[in-house]
Amino acid sequence: MTENVKYPAVIAARRQSKDRLRRRRAEQRFRSYGMVAVAVSLIFLVGLFATIFSKAYTALGQTEIALEIHFDEALIDPEGTRNPTTLARANYDALVKISLGKLFPEIKDRRGRRALRKIMSAGAAFELREMVLADQGLIGGRRTVWLPASDDADMYIKGLVAGGLQHGNRIDAQQAAWLDKLENREQLAQRFNWRLFMAADSREPELAGLRGAAVGSLLTLSICLVIAFPLGVMTAVYLEEFAPRNRWTDLIEVNINNLAAVPSIVFGLLGLAVLLGFLGLPRSAPLVGGMVLALMTLPTVIIAGRAALQAVPPSIRDAAFGIGASPMQVVAHHVLPLAMPGILTGTIIGMARALGETAPLLMIGMVAFIVDVPTSPTDPATVLPVQIFLWADAPERAFAERTAAAIVVLLAFLIVMNLAAVLLRRRFEQRW
Amino acid sequence: MSNLLIIIAILALAAIGFRMGRGRALALAGGHAKALHSLPNHYGGYVLLWCGLPALALIAIWLALEPPAIRWLVLSALPSDLKALPAERLALIYDNIHNLARGIDLGTSDAAMSEAAQRYLGLRQIAVVSLAVISLMVAGAGLWRGWRVVAPTFAARRAVERSIRVALIVSSTLAVFTTIGIVLSLLFETIRFFEKVPVWDFLFGLDWSPQTALRTDQVGSSGRFGAVPIFAGTLLISVIAMAVAVPAGLFSAIYLAEYAAKPVRDVIKPVLEILAGIPTVVYGFFAALTVAPLIRDAGGFFGLDVSSESALAAGVVMGIMIIPFISSLSDDVITAVPQSLREASYGLGATRSETIRQVVLPAALPGIISSILLALSRAIGETMIVVMAAGLAANLTANPFEAVTTVTVQIATLLVGDQEFDSAKTLAAFALGLVLFVVTLGLNLVALVTVRKYREKYD
Amino acid sequence: MLKQSLALAALAAVMITNAAAARDQIRVVGSSTVFPFATAVAEHFGKTSSFKTPVVESTGSGGGLKLFCAGLGVDYPDITNASRRIKTSEVQRCAKNGVVNIVEVKIGFDGIVLANSRKSGLMSISLKQLFLALAKDVPVDGKLVANPYMTWRDIDVSLPMSKIEVLGPPPTSGTRDAFVELALEGGAKTFPMLAAMRKADKKRFKAVAHTLREDGAFIEAGENDNLIVQKLETNPAAFGIFGFSFLDQNADKLQGSRVNGSMPEFEAIAAGQYPVSRSLYFYVKKAHVGTVPGLRDFVAEFTADKAWGPDGYLADKGLIPLPDAERAKVRAQAAALANLSM
Repeated sequence: MTENVKYPAVIAARRQSKDRLRRRRAEQRFRSYGMVAVAVSLIFLVGLFATIFSKAYTALGQTEIALEIHFDEALIDPEGTRNPTTLARANYDALVKISLGKLFPEIKDRRGRRALRKIMSAGAAFELREMVLADQGLIGGRRTVWLPASDDADMYIKGLVAGGLQHGNRIDAQQAAWLDKLENREQLAQRFNWRLFMAADSREPELAGLRGAAVGSLLTLSICLVIAFPLGVMTAVYLEEFAPRNRWTDLIEVNINNLAAVPSIVFGLLGLAVLLGFLGLPRSAPLVGGMVLALMTLPTVIIAGRAALQAVPPSIRDAAFGIGASPMQVVAHHVLPLAMPGILTGTIIGMARALGETAPLLMIGMVAFIVDVPTSPTDPATVLPVQIFLWADAPERAFAERTAAAIVVLLAFLIVMNLAAVLLRRRFEQRW
Repeated sequence: MSNLLIIIAILALAAIGFRMGRGRALALAGGHAKALHSLPNHYGGYVLLWCGLPALALIAIWLALEPPAIRWLVLSALPSDLKALPAERLALIYDNIHNLARGIDLGTSDAAMSEAAQRYLGLRQIAVVSLAVISLMVAGAGLWRGWRVVAPTFAARRAVERSIRVALIVSSTLAVFTTIGIVLSLLFETIRFFEKVPVWDFLFGLDWSPQTALRTDQVGSSGRFGAVPIFAGTLLISVIAMAVAVPAGLFSAIYLAEYAAKPVRDVIKPVLEILAGIPTVVYGFFAALTVAPLIRDAGGFFGLDVSSESALAAGVVMGIMIIPFISSLSDDVITAVPQSLREASYGLGATRSETIRQVVLPAALPGIISSILLALSRAIGETMIVVMAAGLAANLTANPFEAVTTVTVQIATLLVGDQEFDSAKTLAAFALGLVLFVVTLGLNLVALVTVRKYREKYD
Repeated sequence: MLKQSLALAALAAVMITNAAAARDQIRVVGSSTVFPFATAVAEHFGKTSSFKTPVVESTGSGGGLKLFCAGLGVDYPDITNASRRIKTSEVQRCAKNGVVNIVEVKIGFDGIVLANSRKSGLMSISLKQLFLALAKDVPVDGKLVANPYMTWRDIDVSLPMSKIEVLGPPPTSGTRDAFVELALEGGAKTFPMLAAMRKADKKRFKAVAHTLREDGAFIEAGENDNLIVQKLETNPAAFGIFGFSFLDQNADKLQGSRVNGSMPEFEAIAAGQYPVSRSLYFYVKKAHVGTVPGLRDFVAEFTADKAWGPDGYLADKGLIPLPDAERAKVRAQAAALANLSM
């Protein structure tokens, strides 16, 4: 050590290497912060997904019971007119009851029969009705039909609620025995729950599906995108590239920033007052929902768009001006394409928020029970998050797993949207 | 449906106009685009605008005026005994006429009404046909007008760009109109609220307890509307959320933009964006059933008294939710910082982290600040997580382990409650909304001034 | 791109103004408590008749009545659900907008239960003890003082040792309103001092009886009863206040406390033995009967025994039916579209 004192260069080198070491450590530390930050978000996301999926997967199956149904003409259409109104109003529940009675002929008393009926869904009768309305040739014949079991029976078979002797259980010991017997006879099985994807909403969990809400979401989001994206980009372009700096543009800018912080339910109030009250648009319509959500997402799109436009280096503009482009051409041909990835990010985040929003829709009547699948932007409709909100609020236990499944579907929507954005971004993005 | 067809026809005509204008300009210039004042597409665009805009504007006005006009015509032709009915009865009768016209007969109609329904159908038919004829004529005239003006010396670019500029200006004013709309839809109810509760008590009262009666035979027990605890709660939860979201989001952004390999970034960035889109109900359940008990038990372990409904649980989960607002937007902005700046810094011997801290971040600062402000806005506006995880108790406290409530939570609960609709409780929601609006407006003014002061342009 | 977006915006603007049209579907708004029942009826109605399924919105009783009273015609709802009775001021507001003939239909009861996790013991409590546990000010030695009780055991030795922690609805909720009126006021009346105050100064008495404590023992949770149910599972020491149907669905995890000696069970509530239950209503706009198809049939479906009877599908969803005689009376009134009398 001591002899080194004579060689200042060595000391300097050592000091330097110490310094370098410190700087390298700082470098590594800094980098690891970033990794930790990303990891925290990812772990959280994975955790959320895991909890949702673990609850959701049971909803993919639905307990069904095979019943041999006799489509008795005397019950469905006693006069033999085949009049659709008569067919629509016939007592299909009786068909289910008769067929159940044949399965368990030993049950004679009223109480027992009522308990027996409760293992089948109320929807069993609805489905028979649909079958007959679609094919009148069934009347008079016999056919074995797999019909949904009731939500309580479904939960019991899936093992999600206890059944049996304990007081207050929705499936009592007697019903549990029947269900077990049917399962042994292979007249009861878990089958794929197509209703969850193909049917619209229902008050019976075993019949409830997401199609209505998914179509509603699609319509609402399309309207929202068609309004918010062009208007947002145009506003951002104007404010960033053309607007003179004066009081008026300052006012607009502050306004936009402020609108981003307005609670979403207030946009619902605005929609109620202006769109429904003043313009007289229909209630519960995706058209109005889309417009309200567009007003809500506009600030996000504008702010993100402006940040992206700001990030385009002035040299690009100068070069374009240099070769004689007009201001409009500079923006349209050079600045806007370069800013597009950022604008798209903002739009995607805004849309994602619009896709998950419930509160403003409450005010304009979209938090509703709607059975018919909407076909146009003016039909009454609901959207996926509202469906989730309503199902999460329903007393029936069977809705819990369906709520989780609905969330998975919503996430699938989101992932598709994000994928689209990734592809678009990859087309535009570049570093300079 | 027929209206949609008319619009499609006009759009098609406009597209034809575009080709015609372009073709004419090229033809007049003898096929040499250089001989033209503007690009051929500008001439096409000019004709397109002349063809499409007036006709579409006409259709919009027409369709806005048509229903009231037909209504007036149908109603004025009704027999006088029906006409003499009060306005709201007349509205019902008009609805019945509508029904009849659509083939729904409820057996409540008479001869006069079926006649009116016929009349209604006839008028509708006339309206549709005349709209089709007139709008197509206007479109044709516009097309001809635009087409005729096209000449090699004509400055089509200037004309087209001027109209685009007007469109840009108009779209940017939408934000102002939205603001006006919001203020107006809140103002009247707020004024009625302040007739019941003094402004002073509301703004500076330290006690929020809207336990007033739901029915008149009951008596308001402790109806106090001091908004301070609610605003303090909003502030507390937002601060917690930002304390989570800003470091996590910013470091994620830096890592993604500066360190991560491109394929990694391409995957992780959209994956993080999913966080922003998960419905808040899901976060709410997660915060209330997983995070809150965890914090409560952890607090119990350290001997702290943590309530089951704590601001901390709601704030942390909310912070996670808004990470993508900061990470994604900041990432874009950081990526957009010119490479030359980094290279210059490396050339001086700086390490990557030094470059980022001292060169890249300052250059990206305005964008990062707007992303943080956006995330903050989202935090202030969030409802569901707080309702579920932090409850509705309006405590005036800075202790993150206690339950607090926020402005938006109160607005949402007050608006959808079972109470009478003009009770002070419902009206308080409007007042809260307006005050929040004014407060954030003030904050934004401050932010604007500050951001402008530090804004720099690098290249 | 700018031109295309302009065209699209114009298109959207045009389609908007073309939207208003007649309506062949019943529209129902109102209380979130009645929502599960109204929707069940709507679905059965849509699937067993030739009419379209009604659209049912959950807006809260107050919001529902506001919409309902806004006017006549297809732009306004035909029916509103309420978890409380319509108020005189609301009837007046209705009348001002031309909505004069309103038909009131009482559909049944909703039991309000106090429940906890099955992991803890079953609690038997009297209304008096409940008042002592939850009221803001309670009488101690003849004087009203701020509620000093921290654990249930402080009130009575028969009650559990645990801290008083009750999750319940916010003051904007009809459930809360009914709970306060039936349970707390019922308990308050049993104190001689408060009973005397009731005679002398009714206002003051109600102020005392209706105010829940705000020191953290009573926790205002949101309106999501499933959340309360799940919170009770994770926190066995806590109790929750919510509607009977949620207890019914979660009977394997939760138990309802015995109140004044009566268990919160279907039969006990229907027989009126269980002290905390309230009535549910819906209101029909009579003027719309001739304008909106199926309105009369919908009311008939709702008031048919297969729906609201003791064995009907609504009972299965947790609605407590009216006694037979009252049901018959209400059904007759509803069928005749008899006007509301306050």
